[in-house]
Amino acid sequence: MTNLILRHGITVVTVLAFAFFGWNAQGFLSVPNLASVLVNNVALLAIAAFAMTLVVRTGGIDLSIGTAIDMAGLAFVAALRVNLGVTIAVLAGLAAAAATGGFNALLITRLKISPFLATLGTLFIGHSLQQLLADGGNPIYVTAASLPPAFQFLGHGLILGVHLRIWLVVILALAMALLLSRSSFGRRLTASGMQVNVAWYSGLPVDRDIALVYVLAGVICGIAGVLLTAGVSVYVPFAGNAFLLNAIGATFIGTTLSRSHVANVQGTLLGVILISVAANGLLLIGWNFYWQQLATGMVIFLALAFTFGGRRLAGGTP
Amino acid sequence: MSRPETALAPDEDAYLSLSGLTKRFGGVQALAGAKLLVRKGEIHGLVGQNGAGKSTMIKILAGLVQADAGQIHIGGRDLADARPRDVEAAGIHFIHQERMLVPDFTVAEALFLGHEVRLGPFLARRRMQASAQALMQRYFGRVLPGNRLIAELSTGEQQIVQIVRALLQEPQVLVLDEPTAALVRAEIDHLFEALNRLRAGGMTVVYISHYLSEIEALCDRVTVLRNGQTVATVDPRHTSSREIASLMVARDLNEMFPARVASKGRPVLSARALGDGRNFQDVTFTLHAGEVLGLTGLQGSGAKELLRSLFGLDRITSGEVSIEDRPFRARSPREAAAQGVAFVPEDRRHQGAILEMSIAANMTLANLARFSWRGLLRPRLEREVATRMISELAIKAEGPDAVVASLSGGNQQKVVLAKWLTRAAPLYILDEPTLGVDVAAKIEIYELVQRLARDGAAILVLSNDLDELVGITHRILVMYRGRTASSIPAATTSPAALLDVILTGQSEIAHVVH
Ligand SMILES: Nc1ncnc2c1ncn2[C@@H]1O[C@H](COP(=O)(O)OP(=O)(O)OP(=O)(O)O)[C@@H](O)[C@H]1O
Ligand SMILES: [Mg+2]
Repeated sequence: MTNLILRHGITVVTVLAFAFFGWNAQGFLSVPNLASVLVNNVALLAIAAFAMTLVVRTGGIDLSIGTAIDMAGLAFVAALRVNLGVTIAVLAGLAAAAATGGFNALLITRLKISPFLATLGTLFIGHSLQQLLADGGNPIYVTAASLPPAFQFLGHGLILGVHLRIWLVVILALAMALLLSRSSFGRRLTASGMQVNVAWYSGLPVDRDIALVYVLAGVICGIAGVLLTAGVSVYVPFAGNAFLLNAIGATFIGTTLSRSHVANVQGTLLGVILISVAANGLLLIGWNFYWQQLATGMVIFLALAFTFGGRRLAGGTP
Repeated sequence: MSRPETALAPDEDAYLSLSGLTKRFGGVQALAGAKLLVRKGEIHGLVGQNGAGKSTMIKILAGLVQADAGQIHIGGRDLADARPRDVEAAGIHFIHQERMLVPDFTVAEALFLGHEVRLGPFLARRRMQASAQALMQRYFGRVLPGNRLIAELSTGEQQIVQIVRALLQEPQVLVLDEPTAALVRAEIDHLFEALNRLRAGGMTVVYISHYLSEIEALCDRVTVLRNGQTVATVDPRHTSSREIASLMVARDLNEMFPARVASKGRPVLSARALGDGRNFQDVTFTLHAGEVLGLTGLQGSGAKELLRSLFGLDRITSGEVSIEDRPFRARSPREAAAQGVAFVPEDRRHQGAILEMSIAANMTLANLARFSWRGLLRPRLEREVATRMISELAIKAEGPDAVVASLSGGNQQKVVLAKWLTRAAPLYILDEPTLGVDVAAKIEIYELVQRLARDGAAILVLSNDLDELVGITHRILVMYRGRTASSIPAATTSPAALLDVILTGQSEIAHVVH
């Protein structure tokens, strides 16, 4: 029993966070507020964090998820501005993000650069590229003439009264969970992440799988990039980078949920909710915006301390 | 110091005493009141089947694992709840079964980690390297350059580093958990010499091994563990290896080596003038279906590299290989496996098994296509096959979902073997398949090898256990300085004669066989 509670350190911390803000922050538990947290804070971060989860599962890390999000937004807006239509524009956005992931894949599996350095390089290159393409880093607006209903739907559409973003998060979460814990591909990734040498000696296509993961992570970020841009009707350079640290935080908070400490969808989702709720709650009780990252950091420590400290107390596996 | 010996005499004057040790891991009772009484200045053997609890006992002594109950005393001092540091301070040092070295360190750094020699604020690298080499020469008659990386060393060489590292601390008690599992003959001899010399100097040694011949040669007394309990403490001069083995398994051991398959079939693997441009050259042999071919040689003889190149781990630069009449070329294990090669590696922790994964997931890793349908895993089939393998190979585990890390060393090795058994390959390459495996499990593995052969697989076994080679193979290929020194029918040779060929590269009964 104690073990169960300790294993679920993040769940406990999340519940505590809800209780704390519910008590202290006016309007925190109101339906409109929670719905807004879901749509505006949780959804896009969750999608970005899913991309991170996939990569971390293979034992890597992707510092360029923000870049992929931005590249998708840029390509999406560019295609709309030359009137290619929403469908083509979405595909262009996804393709740009996939290309970002593909570039990482090339660096990591062909040139054997470590994921950290490779994606850091991509982050820098992406930064320059955006400055060059966006006139020194100016926002690019989607011009009024090219705003068909489909575009509105991407940004604000509802299906059965539920926001499109939420649907996508649910679908992606289910697909990712299936992929990671039920598919042969997911098993191979997990093996590579735990002991890449053993995976290699077992005859697994390690490089091919890892390359695919980075491309896939790019595409998932592309979805976030398109949704983000459609939501505000403008491409803002470097906007995607805002997701990077939180996505890393959420993913690693999430690993505490797994017995073997691998990145997993459920854990990541909880991590995202925890981080988003903390941000929103602090805002409501009037904390300065600048304190939020400090608070997020504390929450991460708390969840980790709870889980690992608890494990040591319980005398479980080292 | 020496007194008349009686088996199981109550030992009031034990220097190091562990008694009433109990430890449960989940559903597995690893120790159930085990006892170990060691006198000062003796070499005390500790034997038992895989999973008997030897390593657990040692880890409890080391303070790495907390016992559920039991007492530990050394020289009258209570060590029951000691931390690893206290245990070291009490003069007890360990060489654990799992190598615990940092792969990115140099030999000298690994040797002196935590005890660096300093010159002012700086590490005295040169001096550290020099003394490391002197020690290595003294204890093992060979030198590993102090600036080599641990990751570059063979398993045996890493073991040497660990042993020398412990000896550097001038321990009162040295505990070795299967230290020779990865060593070749000459290294073992040096280790024994070193241990004998240390005993003469008054050191106490606890020595765990599956090789009863070693126990016989080395130990003053032996404690036998079975299912977490101490069954007996005996004097190996009065109790034969056979009796000790029977105490371990509680049954008589009949035939160690099962009957070999008589007939051999079509050629499966044929190699012509193989070379890798560095470690071996001009290697020619043919391996038939139903045949078990042994491969052996000193370190540096090229045997290991030859084996690796047949699984796409190293590159072949000259000559030709074919498997079932198709030309074989592999640049990766994946390509080799696709062409019909199954490979059981030597280093189970880094090559063989993923310790954090379940037994079932490990067993199916090399053959995921069979255990999935349209890309989705078939958990039921996976568990079913794993459960069958667990009972067929007598793996001691809670079940198919237990993580491999929770198994004893020998049982981990069986999981690695099982991984490739789920896939019917025409060619099996086994690199030291019984490393760290107990007598009973060895017999099971030998039977498995014969069963594979009977089912028509060709099997290539690299081993430094010469009894094993002579016992289970049809022919033995001895490598010497990169060439095949000879190919000896197992029926016409003995371990001693084989050793002679391994050491000299020459044999009177040399047959140049293709
Ligand atoms: N950390 C652990 N978690 C769960 N079970 C464990 C753990 N460590 C050991 N065991 C179990 O305890 C039993 C004893 O294991 P131990 O490692 O002591 O055996 P051993 O005698 O050293 O065997 P071997 O000769 O194979 O090394 C085994 O059944 C093993 O599966
Ligand atoms: Mg052991």
